[in-house]
Amino acid sequence: MKKKISFVLLLGSALYGAYSDVQTNLNEDEMLSLGQKVYEQTCISCHGKDGETNQDMQLVVKPRQLQKTLLTKEQSFEIIRHGAHYFGAHADVMPAFKYVYSDEQIAAVALYITKKFNAQRAEKVKKLLDASQKLTEDEKVDMLQVGKKIFQKKCAKCHGITGDGKSEYVEQSKADENFIYPYNLTRTLLHEEQIFLYAKFGGHFWGTDKKDMPSWKRKYNDVKLKSVAKYVEKEIKKLKE
Amino acid sequence: MKKIALSLLLLAISAFGANHIIDQKGKTFIPHEITVKPGDTITFKNSDPFAHNAYTDDEANEFDIGMQASGTEKSITVKPGGDFSVECAIHPNMLLEVTVK
Repeated sequence: MKKKISFVLLLGSALYGAYSDVQTNLNEDEMLSLGQKVYEQTCISCHGKDGETNQDMQLVVKPRQLQKTLLTKEQSFEIIRHGAHYFGAHADVMPAFKYVYSDEQIAAVALYITKKFNAQRAEKVKKLLDASQKLTEDEKVDMLQVGKKIFQKKCAKCHGITGDGKSEYVEQSKADENFIYPYNLTRTLLHEEQIFLYAKFGGHFWGTDKKDMPSWKRKYNDVKLKSVAKYVEKEIKKLKE
Repeated sequence: MKKIALSLLLLAISAFGANHIIDQKGKTFIPHEITVKPGDTITFKNSDPFAHNAYTDDEANEFDIGMQASGTEKSITVKPGGDFSVECAIHPNMLLEVTVK
């Protein structure tokens, strides 16, 4: 009988049901095989064989290209488990699979898509952060004020003044059958540095539909975008209902 | 007093000003460059199926037409001043260059 090697999930989290809490006797190779099996049973129909997304799907919001996702495997686990709506997306995108698959199966898929499709993610993120403009001590002091001002002037136009995704823009645009709703940022699972990178490069750079969140790098420098990210992290996320 | 005089001046100029129509379509200002004179008006049409929000931070011509629904038009009158750029507060890649003669 084949000896099972305990697969230890190293990253800690205080969240019940988080990736690190998943109990399994499978080793990493077995987890990858399980992940591939589940992926090819279910996820492949939207996200494609290599995570490149099936572009022929007649959906308003194209499924995320997993080769480009900014999400860590821990965050992918959360999204697969709870669905994207739980983390602020509009209702009709990525559903919750916690009623369909066990946590072990979901963790296996998260591991599979990260290793198989997006193994360079961490390196890519580090390079982009290393290359970004650093803040002076004075700029660090002002981050929340600067971030708030930009958020209220620009981000709030779509995401709403409290970041809950309710805005005049949505009201005036939702009749468009191809309209993509802005995220409820109070529920985002992106961390501060990820929010900065998402705002700087836009959603499409990270694998979302072309019509999704635009890139703000032409309009604002890194210091300003990092300030916005700080404001979302520290003030907007507090408003989660 | 100065303000009243300036307003009267603009009113007088605008009575003879040309109207420049800028369409907002495919998240682009069409045309994306125009030449205007003080007193001319710029009318922003929105032919996209979603809202736009044209604005400029230029000192002399500062304006923000606010959220503009699909199928609507909004106009501004050009004041004396230098060239300026108009952007959309929602779609940051939209850019209109306005040359003031």
